[in-house]
Formats: sequence, structure tokens, C-alpha cells
Amino acid sequence: MIKVTIDGRDIEVKEETTILNAARELGIKIPTLCYSEFLEPYAVCRICLCEVVRGKRSRLVTACNYPLRDASVSILTNSARVRNLRKLNLELLLAQAPAAKIVQDLAAEYGVTKTRFPIKNPDEKCILCGLCVQVCENLVGAGAIGFSSRGSKREVSTPWGVEPETCILCGACAHFCPTGHIVMTEEADERILHSELTLGPNAAISIPFRQAIPNVPRIDVEHCIHFKTGGCELCSKVCPKDCIDYQMKDEIEDIDVGAIVVATGFQDFDPTPLKQYGYGKYANVLSSIEFEQMNNAASPTGGAIVLENGEEPRSVAILHCIGSRDENNHKYCSRVCCMYALKFAHLIKEKTTAEVYQLYIDMRAFGKGYEEFYHRLLEEGVNVIRGKGAEIAPIGGKFGEEGLLVRCEDTLISKFREIPVDMVVLCTALEARDDSADLARKLNISKGADGWFIEAHPKLAPVSTTTDGVFLAGVCQGPKDIPDAVAQGTAAAGQAMKLMTVGELFLDAAYAAITDEICSGCRICNGLCPYNAISFLEDKKVSEVNAAMCKACGTCAAACPSGAITARHFTDDQIYAQIEAIFA
Amino acid sequence: MPYRANMMVCAGTGCVSNHSLELKQALEEEIQKRGLTDEVQVVPTGCNGFCGAGPIVVVQPDGIFYQLLKVKDIPYLVEEHLLKGRPVPRLMYVPPEEKTPIPKMNDIGFFKGQMLVALRNRGMIDPENIDDYIARDGYRSLAKVLTTMTPDEVIGVIKASGLRGRGGGGFPTGIKWESCKKAEGDIKYVICNADEGDPGAFMDRSIIEGDPHSVLEGMAIGAYAIGVSQGYIYVRIEYPLAIQRFRIALKQARDYGLLGDNIFGTGFSFDVDIRRGAGAFVCGESTALMASVEGRPGEPRAKYIHTVEHGLWNRPTCLNNVETWATVPVIILRGVEWFTSIGTGDVSQNPWGGSKGTKVFSLAGKINNTGLVEVPMGITLREMIYDVGGGIPKGRKFKAVQTGGPSGGFLPTELLDLQVDYEQLTEAGSMMGSGGMVVMDEDNCMVDMAKYFLTFTQDESCGKCTPCREGTLQMLEILKRICEGKGVPEDIQLLEDLSHFVIDASLCALGGSAPNPVLTSLRYFRDEYITHIRDKKCPAHICRDLNVYTIDPELCLVKGHGCGVCRRQCPDSAIVGEKNQVHNIDQELCKKCGVCLDVCKFDAVKVA
Ligand SMILES: Cc1cc2nc3c(=O)[nH]c(=O)nc-3n(C[C@H](O)[C@H](O)[C@H](O)COP(=O)(O)OP(=O)(O)OC[C@H]3O[C@@H](n4cnc5c(N)ncnc54)[C@H](O)[C@@H]3O)c2cc1C
Ligand SMILES: Cc1cc2nc3c(=O)[nH]c(=O)nc-3n(C[C@H](O)[C@H](O)[C@H](O)COP(=O)(O)O)c2cc1C
Ligand code: SF4
Ligand code: SF4
Ligand code: FES
Repeated sequence: MIKVTIDGRDIEVKEETTILNAARELGIKIPTLCYSEFLEPYAVCRICLCEVVRGKRSRLVTACNYPLRDASVSILTNSARVRNLRKLNLELLLAQAPAAKIVQDLAAEYGVTKTRFPIKNPDEKCILCGLCVQVCENLVGAGAIGFSSRGSKREVSTPWGVEPETCILCGACAHFCPTGHIVMTEEADERILHSELTLGPNAAISIPFRQAIPNVPRIDVEHCIHFKTGGCELCSKVCPKDCIDYQMKDEIEDIDVGAIVVATGFQDFDPTPLKQYGYGKYANVLSSIEFEQMNNAASPTGGAIVLENGEEPRSVAILHCIGSRDENNHKYCSRVCCMYALKFAHLIKEKTTAEVYQLYIDMRAFGKGYEEFYHRLLEEGVNVIRGKGAEIAPIGGKFGEEGLLVRCEDTLISKFREIPVDMVVLCTALEARDDSADLARKLNISKGADGWFIEAHPKLAPVSTTTDGVFLAGVCQGPKDIPDAVAQGTAAAGQAMKLMTVGELFLDAAYAAITDEICSGCRICNGLCPYNAISFLEDKKVSEVNAAMCKACGTCAAACPSGAITARHFTDDQIYAQIEAIFA
Repeated sequence: MPYRANMMVCAGTGCVSNHSLELKQALEEEIQKRGLTDEVQVVPTGCNGFCGAGPIVVVQPDGIFYQLLKVKDIPYLVEEHLLKGRPVPRLMYVPPEEKTPIPKMNDIGFFKGQMLVALRNRGMIDPENIDDYIARDGYRSLAKVLTTMTPDEVIGVIKASGLRGRGGGGFPTGIKWESCKKAEGDIKYVICNADEGDPGAFMDRSIIEGDPHSVLEGMAIGAYAIGVSQGYIYVRIEYPLAIQRFRIALKQARDYGLLGDNIFGTGFSFDVDIRRGAGAFVCGESTALMASVEGRPGEPRAKYIHTVEHGLWNRPTCLNNVETWATVPVIILRGVEWFTSIGTGDVSQNPWGGSKGTKVFSLAGKINNTGLVEVPMGITLREMIYDVGGGIPKGRKFKAVQTGGPSGGFLPTELLDLQVDYEQLTEAGSMMGSGGMVVMDEDNCMVDMAKYFLTFTQDESCGKCTPCREGTLQMLEILKRICEGKGVPEDIQLLEDLSHFVIDASLCALGGSAPNPVLTSLRYFRDEYITHIRDKKCPAHICRDLNVYTIDPELCLVKGHGCGVCRRQCPDSAIVGEKNQVHNIDQELCKKCGVCLDVCKFDAVKVA
């Protein structure tokens, strides 16, 4: 540690600390233009010049990279001499890069509002601070940009002025550029991709969403610079607890369990094929889940209800039963839409001044307090129209930027109506997940024609399945709202706990058994068992029945060509004995 | 068998471009024809420095100096001098404004005032023959160092000698070696800076082309003292002959076991590689040079860490100039006492206490004897210019001398008695630099000269740091403005402010010294600026935009009879007049090209 004086104030710092860092510790601001704490000081803007006074001798040094080694020095960061040099420097920069706001602002701070030197190019922003080049070379490791020409012709460019293959489009240069000379632009896309609505610009390392569990950041390896070039590692440089581990990998773990609760839920019906609604084409036609997400306080809009152009809608139409109660799609009622549609209407009324139109087939407000909620909304002034939305057309502009027209038949007044709105929300159906068949096979449970999993008995065993130890909860069993899903989940958990508290299984005494000596290893039984209870032992080359899974149906015993399988308690001898007893 | 006479034909770049190689061939043929092959030897040598008198042949051992030779002079020269023993006066040097030729090289003013240390073998050896070098005590110092001295003793000698860097900075060489030796690291390097980017300078090139082994020997001695086994020579690509000479020298030294493993059986190993530089001026700066050797852009780097600790590839590196390295063997051989007897000041306490030994300068500009000279430190500018340099041509008046290359300052007549010494030059606003010396006479405009040199440095700025890049650019704009007659009184203060800013704030010494010509011209020739700005006049009539050309009617008519040459030659048809009548210049049309002034044979055109 050494003691130095900065602007008359004493400070003790570690040797080799730069003047800039020492001054920052004291809260003394030294202007910088080419410095970043994440890079080796390049020290070219020279705006940070300070005086180092040793005895009677004073020397000018750049604060950003001058290491303090000597205890007897005193540093002047803002002496008259220093200020004059900075002023002249800024005046020169104002002539060279007049459009750089950072220079204008700093110059104004020093009372320099105009330059005495001729301006080369009034639109020039680049001050040649080198941050972009440094970051690309030393942090990102791509080395895609550099300086070309020397002297006053120096400029930032890519090699030979062509788009470099080494550029990974990470945008780090634009991020570090203090002047806005480098910016990232996106090519305008004809289609507005809705899945992107929820995605704001994000760092490659972030907490995926607010309620994520565990609530810690994770690295998006597809966009992380480190995984592209091996460079950067900025996050590990700033993490005070050394938590960043670039070696961490996705792992597949095998977990032994005694019970499984299936709560895989649903997926949203994709309304794109229903061309009449223009989903995916008109910017302001949203699916219900998108609208739900927009309302989330953690959404890119911060929970505000806005149109694509950022303005508040003047009117919103909510169309029920998109994909539900529909002969061509799902015949069933999705059960939750009516109520969440009313919730949406309430939110719109609460957050905006927009008119709300509900277009419904039937208003199904069946739960506790739901009907009351419906009436409350009517009082709030929500327009309810009985009639399914038939078509959505743009009012102006190809993509409905200037408004949308909702066409429907109002069945209560038997009139065809056209309602101009700014935004449309489609209440899309809940549908079974695409992978539900796969899961059903894996767990040996059954599912209905509409894809929902089937419970063992609708009244007596509503959370059980035909496979012991596998239980159902939530929408995967059929559409339901949160209270119902939670109730069912609690029940399923109870069932699973029942198994666990006992700790051991009571087996039925009757189950099939294979005699190793007789089994030929043909495996015919393996595929036939409806309960997946038979597996083949590779080492012994014989099949084996898992007694816990066997339901003693006898299919295997009947099919075995070698007669190696006996159903215990139903052996041939026992059956003959019973027959004999009957006739005896 | 020794030869009766040695014909030392200068094969320096200057003489070669004046056909000295054809001369050499003609000499050889003539000598063979006369049957003298066994008695007379023809030796191609490095540059003699007196390039203005080239091609040069010196007949040794008598030291008879022949200049401005042509192939047709050879038969006569061989017959007279070599056969009949009669030197040929008409081929000898005659001092300007004198009549009697001077036969002996060492009696010629240009050579008389010189003292050859770095150039000790100038004109005496064939640079492509290591035996010539060895015959003149070459590699004796290396042998002495390796067999009788410890590294610390070597450093002690160099420190005590007061030798300071000849590349520009004047940093004491011994101290540099010592810090590099002390720096932590197993692998260290020595580098020879042969970038020589100053326009018109050719000191280093001459040493390499004329005596490459002296540099190699110096480097080997330094390497031993510091503890280095690898050296690099950084030569600019525009010096193909120098590169060639180094290649040959390296091979010969390796063949003789003077480079490579286990030199003289002492266990000390050292070898040298050549790196070619792309030829930017700033690449001569130490950190830029190292970046360039590493294969990165040749730009200076901003660090308060010295290259002796973190240099090439971040390892301790000792960089010295060609001339510095070439001087080292002589100091070892002839001793500290001899070396410190030459020059100024006292270095026994402090190596900064004076300037010792000799320095090579290239004399250029308005001076009779242009060329390369090596003079003892402490020589006055007057001695340099009038004795060695032979004075100003055509009897014109001396105005200023710039020392130290393009960023050196201009020193006026009042300072002619200033001694050539690191501190005295710096104090006067100039510097020793690498040894450029440009003389200016009364026909030079100092504003124009400042503009001229700043144009060079501004163009050579790498552009990395703002002060140098933007500062020199704007200074140049102001100077141009003044020369065009558009200067305003505030410009002088602004120029001064900018100069100080660029010097104080630049990252490397290029920007740190580039304003010197401007500052010194403002300091010693301020009235010229004022005349340009206030009166819109250039006293030397160099700044054409400020000139007014007129025709003296009397001279035109009486002497020239209105010959009309000017009218016909004027590219802008600005001159009117009938044949045999007085001619006149239409000032509206005159573009101030000055052609009329040049073509009028009767001095009737006047400029004001
Ligand atoms: C737009 C909209 C608004 C709604 N608003 C309301 C409301 O206001 N109030 C209300 O009560 N209800 C509302 N609902 C209904 C509510 O969303 C559902 O009732 C609830 O989400 C059902 O919960 P769940 O756990 O069964 O299924 P989900 O919420 O779908 O959860 C299933 C989870 O399982 C995961 N998963 C799927 N397959 C696997 C697998 N193989 N392995 C591991 N994990 C898997 C999924 O990623 C998902 O995280 C709304 C529904 C929609 C579409
Ligand atoms: C812009 C610039 C150009 C330079 N060019 C040269 C050069 O051409 N040759 C040289 O020897 N030194 C040159 N130098 C000086 C070197 O940086 C360095 O000080 C020198 O080579 C060290 O050797 P010395 O101590 O033997 O002089 C230059 C310096 C600057 C700032
Ligand atoms: S583009 Fe931006 S970051 Fe790059 S040098 Fe110019 S101002 Fe600096
Ligand atoms: S002073 Fe000039 S040459 Fe040196 S780093 Fe700055 S811009 Fe480059
Ligand atoms: S911030 Fe120090 S030189 Fe730019």
C-alpha cells in the first residue's frame, strides 16, 4: 500500500493502482473517452491527462493507465494546466467528430461550445477511441474490425472494407461505442413474428424469467460470445463470487422413483391456419397467451397494454372459442376461456381507456363467484356480443397497422356487424400436448380421442391411472382452471404420499412367474403384456416378470409357446383341482 | 602478398547511383590490361560520406582522393598514378572558391574535422569480407569481453563511458543494459533499430552497408552483458543493400563461430535474425517497432512500463540504434578514458552529465559539402557548418540550421556557437535526434520550412492518439493559411497553444516532438510570421501567394528590348505587351507561378 495525494486529499491504495481508479475511490471524476474497465487501457484520447507532481517537478500523464508506484507524489486532476489541455483537446474533437454527443456534452462541461477549427464532416461521430476494435479483438476474440489508414485518415473499418467472416454479429462493438458511430440494425421483416413479441433485447446471460426456479442467471450458449470465440468472459470478470462456470453442461439424470404425478398440462392451439383471423399477418392480432404475457409486469412492455407501434389501443375485441367448440378443430369446450376473457376485459378497463368487445357463443361462468364477476364487468361497460367472430380485415395498410375490422353475426339481434378495433385477442383452445401420445406409451397410461389422459375411474379414482403409482393432475387430464388444477394436484400428491409413507408395496399374491429352465427366450410374452411387466434378461437369456407390475391377467401364460409361464394361484394343477372339486 | 596500392572504390548507395560500379569494372579491366593485377587491388567500400563528390576512389595507403570520376578518366588515371606514380590533380577535390586541388583525403576540410569511431572502417574495408573487418581489430572486443570480463564489468564500462543512445532519445546505454539485465525473465532480447525513417538521413544505412560486422559485434557484446541469446535487426525494406550486407555478414560470422552456439568456447551463445519493416516513420519508435516485429500493426503503445522490462513478446528487451551498437566495440577496445576524453560535460558521476564520444550527422540543405560526417561531441554548429560543411553555397547568408531530423528545431545565427550536445540542443528548442542537419540560408522562408517539416510529421502520424492526429492537422491548416496570406493575428497564439498541447499530450515522441520546428521558428523568427500575417508578405518570396510580380519598364525596354519571352511563357496569359515595347503583368490574371521571373534574362521581372 502507498499513500498519495489526489487534489489535496490523501488516499492509501495498492501499488500499481491507476490514478483513475484511485480517484474514483475518492469520488473524484476524471473524464475519459477511450477507457473501459473491461479492457486494457488504450490511452489514446488523452482527455484523462493529469499532473503528477513530485517535489517541484510536474509531469503530465494519462490517468487511465498511469500506475501509482511512488508514495511521495501528489496528483492534480483538474489544475488550470490540465483544464486548458482538455479544452483544446475537446475543441479539436468537436472539429473532428462534431456529431458525437459524448464530446459535445463533455465540451459543454468545460465551457467549450464551439470550435475554432474547421469542421471536416458535420455528421462524423467516430472519435477513434478504439473501444470497438479493442473489444472485438481482445474481449470477443473475433478480430473482425480494425483501423485502416494512418494519421488523420485513420478510420474504423473491416479488413478491405468487406463484411468480415469473423464477425459473429454479437454487437459488442456497438455496445461499447461511446459515440453511436456503430449501431446494430435489423433488416425489416415482412411478417411480424409473434413469438418475438415477448422477447426484448436480452443479454446472453440472464435470469430466464422472473419466477424462474432456481432464480439464477443462465447462459444462452447459442448467443454467448464465449461459446463462439472462446473470448469475452466479461460475466466472470464482473461476478464477485466467481459463480460463472463455462464448463457446465446439460446433463441427463436417471432418478429412481416409486410414484409419478403427470402434470404436463396443455399447449396453446395455433390459430395461424385459421386464415380468417389473420393471426401472424396483422400486427395487432394476438393470441390469448401473448396478451396474458404482455400484461405480466415482467414483460417487455412492463405490463402495459400497447399496440405494435407502442401506442395505447382505443378499442379491443376479444374473440372466444378459437379452436374450441369447433367441428373442424376441437369439439370440446376449453372451459377457462370465458372467464379469462372477462379477466382480460377487466384488465383493459383498468389499464387503458379502450372500449372492449367480447364476442362469445355462450358465456360459461359456472364456478364459484364467476357469474358475479360477469355481471360486474357488464357494469364496467364491457360490450358483450353473442356471436362468434367470423373474420378480421385490415382497415388501412396491408398489415392492419391503421386498425382492424371484426366481422360477426350478433345472434341476439340477428344482425351482421362490423366493429372497428385497434387490437384483437384470440381466445385459443387448450389442447393436448403434441408429445402426449409418447408420454402415454412411456408411462403405460391411456388417453382419449381428444388427447387428454384418462383417469382410472371418473368418480372413484379421479387422479389414478391404469398403471399403479402413476397419477394425473391438472389440464393434462382435461381442461380446467387453476383452482381445479390445484385441487387435483393436491389429490395426486396425496395418493403418491400414501405410497411413500408405507415405504413398501403390498403385492397381490397372484402374479405370473417364468421358469428359467423352460423359457426359450423367444420374447413373445414381452410385447404382449398390457402392463409392461415383462422384461428380457440379457445375461440369462430368459424373460422375467416384475411382480409389482403384474396384474395377473394371464395373457402371457396363455401365449407362451413353451409353457414356461405359470400364473401363480392359477396353475393348471390348481384349476384342475378346482374343477374336480366342483364336480366332486 | 600485400598489394602495392589499393583502389578503394566507393560502393555506397550515392556513388553506385553515380555509376561507381561501372567505374570499378573499368578499373579492373584497365589494371589487367596493364598487367598490374598482382600489384594493385580494387576494393569496393561502403559510403565515404562525401556523396556530393561521388563517384569517389581513394588510393591507399597514400590516401589520395579522386572525385567526380568518369569511366573515360580511368585509362589516364591508371597510367599516370599507378604506372608512372604521378597523382592526377585534375581529378582531385578543389574547395569551393579556391583553385588549388587537395590531393590527400585527410587534408580536405570535410574529412579533416571528422573523427571516425562508428565509421572507423569507412572506405577502408570491403563490407562483404569479414577478414577485412577482422584485420582492422574486428571481433577483438568480443573476444576480450567473453574471455576476460564479467557481464557486470561490461555494463560498468559502458556506463562509465557515458555512451548515450544515438537513435534520438539520448538515453544512457549502460543504464538501459543494466535495467534489462536486472529485469525478471529467462528469455530476453536485444534489438538493433535500423528503421531510420528520417527523410534524407542515411547514417545508419551507411554504417550497415559499410561495416555490418561492427553492429553485430556490438550486439553480441550487449547480449553477453545483459544475458541474451537472441537478437533482432529491424531494417526498413527500402534498404535492400543493407539487408543483403547483413545477411552476408551473419553467414560469415556464423561460419567463423562468432555467432551461434558456444562462441569462443566460452559457453556463451547468441544469434541474430533480420526483420524487415514496412517503412513507416513511426515504426522506428521502440514500442511500435516491437509491435511490428511481433506481426501487429506498427503503432506505439501507451504504457508506463518500460520495454526493458516488458518489450518484445512482453519479455525484457534492450533496443539500441545502429550507431550505438557500432560504437560499443570501440569503447571496449580503447577504454573509458579515451572515450570520455571526447565531448562535453562530466559523466563520472552521472551519465546524463554530458555528451561523450562522437556522433554521425548527415549534412544537407544549403551547404557546400553535403554528406555524412562523424564529429566529436561538443563541436560547435559554426565548425560543423563552415569547416566540415564548407559553408553556404554561392556566398549566401546563413539563416538557420535544423538539427535532429524532421522534428528538430531551427537554430538561428545567434546560436552558431552552440555546442553539439544533448542538453544544449534540447535547451535551445531542438534536439540531437538521430543526427539530421539541414542548413537554411537567406532564401528560405521559416514559415514555409516549418510547414514543410510539419507536413512530413503530420503525414507520418499513426493517428492513434488525438493530440498528434488532430493537433498536427490543425497546426498544418493554420500554417497553410498563413502562407496563403489568410492568417490572422490570433493564429500565432493558437499555433503556440496547439504546439504545447501536442507536445504535452501525445502518446509517443513523434507527437511529442513534431511541433519543434513550429515552436522554434516562432521563437527565433517570429517577425517572419508577423510579416506574413500583418503585411501579407513573405520576405524570402517563397510563399508564392504573397508575391507580387512586376516588370521594371526601364530594364525591360532598355536591356531586353521587350523580348516577350515572359509573355509567351506565362501559362495564364497574364502578361501583355507588344514586341520591342514595355511589357506589363495583369495582376488580376497573375496566378503567381513565378515563371516570368525565371525566364527573364534581363532581371526585369521583380518580385515583392
Ligand atoms: C390465456 C390463458 C389465461 C388463463 N387465465 C386463467 C386465470 O385467470 N385463472 C385460472 O384459474 N386459470 C387460467 N387459465 C388456465 C390455467 O392456465 C390452467 O388452468 C393451468 O395452467 C393448468 O395448470 P397445469 O399445471 O395443469 O398445466 P400447465 O400450466 O400447462 O403446466 C404444465 C407444465 O408441465 C411442463 N411439462 C410438459 N411436459 C413435460 C414433460 N414431459 N416433462 C416435464 N415437464 C413437462 C410444461 O412445460 C408446463 O410447465 C388460463 C389459461 C390460458 C390459456
Ligand atoms: C517517431 C519516432 C521515430 C523513431 N525512429 C527511429 C529510428 O528510425 N531509428 C532509431 O534508431 N531510433 C528511432 N527512434 C528512437 C527509438 O524510439 C529509440 O529511442 C531508440 O531506437 C533507442 O536506441 P538508442 O538508445 O540506442 O538511441 C524513433 C522514435 C520516435 C518517437
Ligand atoms: S466507432 Fe465508436 S468505439 Fe469505435 S473508435 Fe469510433 S467512437 Fe470509438
Ligand atoms: S503521438 Fe502520433 S505517432 Fe505517436 S501514438 Fe500518437 S498519433 Fe501515433
Ligand atoms: S481515457 Fe485515458 S487516454 Fe482516453
